[in-house]
Amino acid sequence: MWKYVKKLEYPVNIQKKDLKMAKYLLAQYGGPNGEFAAAMRYLNQRFTMPDERGKALLTDIGTEELAHIEIIAAMVYQLMDGASVEELEAAGLTSHYVQFDHALFPVDDEGVPFTSAYIEATGDYLADLVSDMAAEQRARVTYENLMNITNDPDLLGPLSFLRQREVVHYARFKELKEYYEEKYNKRSTDI
Amino acid sequence: MYNKQIELYEPYQGFIRGNMFPSLFDQYGRIYDVKPMNEQAELLTYIDIFDFALIDIGLYLDVHPENQKMIELYNSFLQEKKSILKKYEENYGALTMDSNALNVAPWNWDNNPWPWEA
Repeated sequence: MWKYVKKLEYPVNIQKKDLKMAKYLLAQYGGPNGEFAAAMRYLNQRFTMPDERGKALLTDIGTEELAHIEIIAAMVYQLMDGASVEELEAAGLTSHYVQFDHALFPVDDEGVPFTSAYIEATGDYLADLVSDMAAEQRARVTYENLMNITNDPDLLGPLSFLRQREVVHYARFKELKEYYEEKYNKRSTDI
Repeated sequence: MYNKQIELYEPYQGFIRGNMFPSLFDQYGRIYDVKPMNEQAELLTYIDIFDFALIDIGLYLDVHPENQKMIELYNSFLQEKKSILKKYEENYGALTMDSNALNVAPWNWDNNPWPWEA
């Protein structure tokens, strides 16, 4: 089960309204390399990890990704809070407004809805871990691209934090994959 | 592997980097300080700092469960976090639904601020 903690993993206090960034941040909400996909990916894959280390790591990283969904959601919410229809239109968010108003909804920055096809669970622990390492790298790149299009420290702080978490998660998945290759005498490249 | 020494950042330095482990740190752009805007936010940031250390060391221990030193460190940070959390909840209300701070009327779980409200 899960319990809610009434705080963010990293604080979000955005002073400046920037609706274009709200739109682009949706990439990391409902996009293919976004936090929704990451949380659902690991929390599904953990059931078929072969030992205690894998079950623990995927549960804990999956849980942390739930907290990252909340950070991105808080950023989008604060950036869009109080925006008029005209302001939303100027940022290319009219379609979002028509369907969802100011609500959070897991779509990507182009309005493509989240799909469970992003989740990538195979039942094969090495295939899953290789896929997880790649997913962390793709998310890291997306965060770098987001950081490259803003100068606002209120956005860069949380984006930089989230980017670094991708680096750490990648490293832990890699350690687990290498441990399994050794333990089960199996190489991911043999598959 | 037992008692293997792994260098760590101080909890605040790890928190603002998003990484407790200098050996894994991959800098991109500058490092941003967290600047709480009031006393409540400042106390909450202390909780964030120790919570973060617990999350990151916890992931390490999932894959390196034999590191006794790291287990000791995890538990010392856990004690620090618990004492700051107690102080926060006594002053500002519960952060979780199993908190002792909920034994007051009126019900304080619905107190502001919610985490997404700046």
